[in-house]
Amino acid sequence: MSTAPGRTKHAEAILGPKLHSRLSQTKVLVVGAGGIGCELLKTIVLTGFTQITLLDLDTIDLSNLNRQFLFRTKDVKKPKSITAARAASSFNPNAKITPIFGNIKDEEYDVNWFKGFGVVLNALDNLDARRHVNKMCMAAGVPLVESGTAGYLGQVQPLVKDATECFDCIPKPTPKSFPVCTIRSTPSQPIHCIVWSKSYLMGQLFGTDEEAGAGTSELDEAEKNGENAEEIAKLRQEARSFARVRAAIRSYNVNSPEDPAKIAFEKVFKADIENLLSMSDMWKHRAPPVPLDYDTIINGSFVGVDSSQALNGTTGASGQTNGSKVVMKDQKKLTLKENLELFVSSVHSLSARLSSNEVQTIEFDKDDEDTLDFVTAASNLRSAAYGIEGKSKWEVKEMAGNIIPAIATTNAIIAGLIVLQALNLLRASLSSPSPSASASSSSQDAIHDPGTQPKVDYSSLRNVHIQIKPSVPLSSVKLSSPNPNCGICRDTYTLVNCDRTRTTLRDIVHGVLGWSKQKANGNSQLNGQGNDVADNDEEGDREISVYEDKRILADPDWDDNLDRTLESLNVGRGKFISIVHEDGAWETVQVGIGELPPTHPPNADPYILPSPLPKLVKKPKSKQSVPPSTPPPRTSLKRSLPVDNDNDDVLVIDDGENDGKKAGARDTNGEPAAKKAKMSNDGAGNTKNSANATGLTSPSKKRKLEEDGLVMMDGPGEGGMDEDEDVIIIDED
Amino acid sequence: MNPSEFTEEEQGRYDRQIRLWGIEAQQRMRNATILVVKLKGTATETIKNIVLAGIGKLILVDADDVEEEDLGAGFFFCDDDVGKKRVDAAKARIENLNPLVTVEVVPNFDVLNNQNFESTVNGVDLVCITDWDSDDLVRLNNICRRSQKPFYAGGTYGLLGYIFCDLLDHKYISPDRSSPKDAQKNVQMKASYPSLQDALRHRWSALSKRQTKELNPASIFAVLSLWKFQSSRKRLPNGTQDAQDLQQMADALVSDADVNKQVLTTVPHDLIESVALTAPHEFSPICAVVGGLLAQDILKTLAAREPPIANFLTFDGNTGGASVCRLSMPTTSL
Repeated sequence: MSTAPGRTKHAEAILGPKLHSRLSQTKVLVVGAGGIGCELLKTIVLTGFTQITLLDLDTIDLSNLNRQFLFRTKDVKKPKSITAARAASSFNPNAKITPIFGNIKDEEYDVNWFKGFGVVLNALDNLDARRHVNKMCMAAGVPLVESGTAGYLGQVQPLVKDATECFDCIPKPTPKSFPVCTIRSTPSQPIHCIVWSKSYLMGQLFGTDEEAGAGTSELDEAEKNGENAEEIAKLRQEARSFARVRAAIRSYNVNSPEDPAKIAFEKVFKADIENLLSMSDMWKHRAPPVPLDYDTIINGSFVGVDSSQALNGTTGASGQTNGSKVVMKDQKKLTLKENLELFVSSVHSLSARLSSNEVQTIEFDKDDEDTLDFVTAASNLRSAAYGIEGKSKWEVKEMAGNIIPAIATTNAIIAGLIVLQALNLLRASLSSPSPSASASSSSQDAIHDPGTQPKVDYSSLRNVHIQIKPSVPLSSVKLSSPNPNCGICRDTYTLVNCDRTRTTLRDIVHGVLGWSKQKANGNSQLNGQGNDVADNDEEGDREISVYEDKRILADPDWDDNLDRTLESLNVGRGKFISIVHEDGAWETVQVGIGELPPTHPPNADPYILPSPLPKLVKKPKSKQSVPPSTPPPRTSLKRSLPVDNDNDDVLVIDDGENDGKKAGARDTNGEPAAKKAKMSNDGAGNTKNSANATGLTSPSKKRKLEEDGLVMMDGPGEGGMDEDEDVIIIDED
Repeated sequence: MNPSEFTEEEQGRYDRQIRLWGIEAQQRMRNATILVVKLKGTATETIKNIVLAGIGKLILVDADDVEEEDLGAGFFFCDDDVGKKRVDAAKARIENLNPLVTVEVVPNFDVLNNQNFESTVNGVDLVCITDWDSDDLVRLNNICRRSQKPFYAGGTYGLLGYIFCDLLDHKYISPDRSSPKDAQKNVQMKASYPSLQDALRHRWSALSKRQTKELNPASIFAVLSLWKFQSSRKRLPNGTQDAQDLQQMADALVSDADVNKQVLTTVPHDLIESVALTAPHEFSPICAVVGGLLAQDILKTLAAREPPIANFLTFDGNTGGASVCRLSMPTTSL
């Protein structure tokens, strides 16, 4: 399709012909077609980029329409990427936008795929996907512009491996979590009751049997952590006795002799609370809860703890709209009786869905009215029992759904700033002495070795924040150098394309380290006793451990897996095998796993080693590691606007793991026996403790252990947003 | 429709922003009529944002036809629109952004004549004039003052952008950010704005070196010198041949305004040169930032929440930074 030649006149005048002509030659990846993504797509198309790939895994929701201006009411439920690409194409007929309705973490989007782009622009709304794209860009040597927004605030940060900080150079705050017992027996704030309803009670009543069982397993952890044994025993008993309620729910119909709502109510708001009250020691120093009574609440004669807020429940507006006459229905606070009625009606609706076998389980979804009603009612009833202030449905939706306010203006500003930084990146690469500075054409190894990298002047790049300060609403600061102890961008990245059904872990590890060339290859039948790795230690640097993400696959004392194929170890395409030097002298080597090209001769080795092999990089002297997943309290806001945000996802409250719905995660459930075998040999606790005790020679290792939940708190019901949260959570969907 | 009730559709559509600014602010936006003059890149972005946010009515004035160059930043236009009236081409696409907003277009500039403008202004709640020359901005601002209507001006010159506002005596609610974080209360604030005419007489004498530097005076005086140039030549500079004149005007303005000499005595020549070359051109990312900031500020003013710009913002697309200078404007009082 032809377009008016005058279209590009302004852009050419501003950029100059050289940089302008570069735009149409640069392949751009935009990750995310939500709030930032729609604005960004519009701006890059108008700027003059014409080769654009747009990826998003989400579909359009009504609540997107206030800012995601490429979407209309009729587009609700359609894929964002495809709809946005179609709408934005009309802004410039020269632009070719390739939409992908998928998850950036899917295996086909591996390092090779990322290498096909000249620049990657993030328009994401969750920490997990951001960290993933950051790592892929570091591995592929592709410059990345990272961004995030929350309400009026936002930030843009260009990231170039070895030249600037990467996304993980500064630790990001982890979501606030609550101790199990606070949630399960001694709530003191509305959020505690909301977390309890959403993460515990929903699962007990409407989840799978395993979820119901999980109510006891988190108690095992709590017990290990030394929490009150008697209390734990009570809670365990309580969690086990949901069978009768579950049965009533699943056999519910209008003629049921047993009302599941009433049975559930009697158990959780009466019997269970009476059960806890029997532990008088617990209530010596805190106000005891009051068991609720179904019939007296219905007839209005119930007398509870704190009558002011929780029970009379005036129907005033909440929060910021206090005193206003303008109120939305969902902003009204319900009385105790209304909450009970809502509890009953929502349990009935949800029970009807289960008993009709329409679905097998029901999870909380903030856009599923029945589940939102249930969580609102159940948390308010629990609050009433504990004398805690009740919350409106509107407020519960925000707290339980982790909703981050979002507006068009912030996204538009951030999108404009992203493009300006992307242009700075292109301009920098233009002025570099090497004509091949475009990342899309760089060879796979040159980018990993700072020594052979073309010297590009990145001094024009800026980290830009929208801030509250009236005199400087957009602060623009120079970029920091990489954190020398970063567990992501200081690693050495390389790539092995291989057939995973025929390539062993040993092929990869020994091949990349160059050991396979040095020794005869006759030692492939090791049975777990062998010390192949350690025995061949000629240079003193052969004490290595091997990981895939956080799974340990081998260490100096355990090499059972070396002769297994990658496929049998469930190391998929797009994954990394991490080779960690135990003595801490060398940076971790991250081996990206790619596919063999179709032209690969069938009788050759089933893998292609990088050529030349990656040079090991010496670690800086400091042993103080800064693993990305262990944030110390953040003090400087300027540099470290925490970029988290999971708008639609329940990032905290579910269980800390991704649910796979967002770019979050697709957990490999078929995890091979590797880690478990290792742990049973050695004991997980030992591994953890020794790692900690030795001061952590390997950041990667510590990080892996922590992510594994061995160090940090983990598990259901331990998170949520608090009213006095003092970090700014930035993000954007 | 009952003005105090929000429909299900409004609740759903505006959910994420009502959670930010509250239902009352949303209500004020819904009741507002905004006049926007001239439909170039800055206005395109601004309009997109205020229409998405849910203002009540937009009145859009532009007499000109769509030119090929407008396609660079004007996403309300497509190739087939070249030669049509800008406002006619854009109307349906603006309405499409948010069916809850009324859009009225005026395909001529007659309303800007002194008498017409006064009566037009009386029928709206806020005036926003984009990519316009400063002499006329002064005139239109004075008319708005007589009618006690808040006035915004904004535009871009290549990589530079600006926003000026005269909000008269503006009252707003804002969290008291001077108190401890956990005890922040909303307080009522009031700010008195000068006219553009008075603002342009601002002298920088009171500012320390550090305060001066923070405001990035080079980009401020680059914009002011463009206004001066345009006023005397009746056109914008359009090439390096204009750089020298522009430089002289800029430096005279710097000197007249008594800017701290340790910070700035002359506007850097490379900036002047790039401005002389690019001033008549508009660029989508710059329009996105300036139109985003401009729309956000209009919404804050309508909502009477959060402090608006006080009173002259410049954006420098070379760095991505923006600063706000109080031109002839005393500090805010409680």
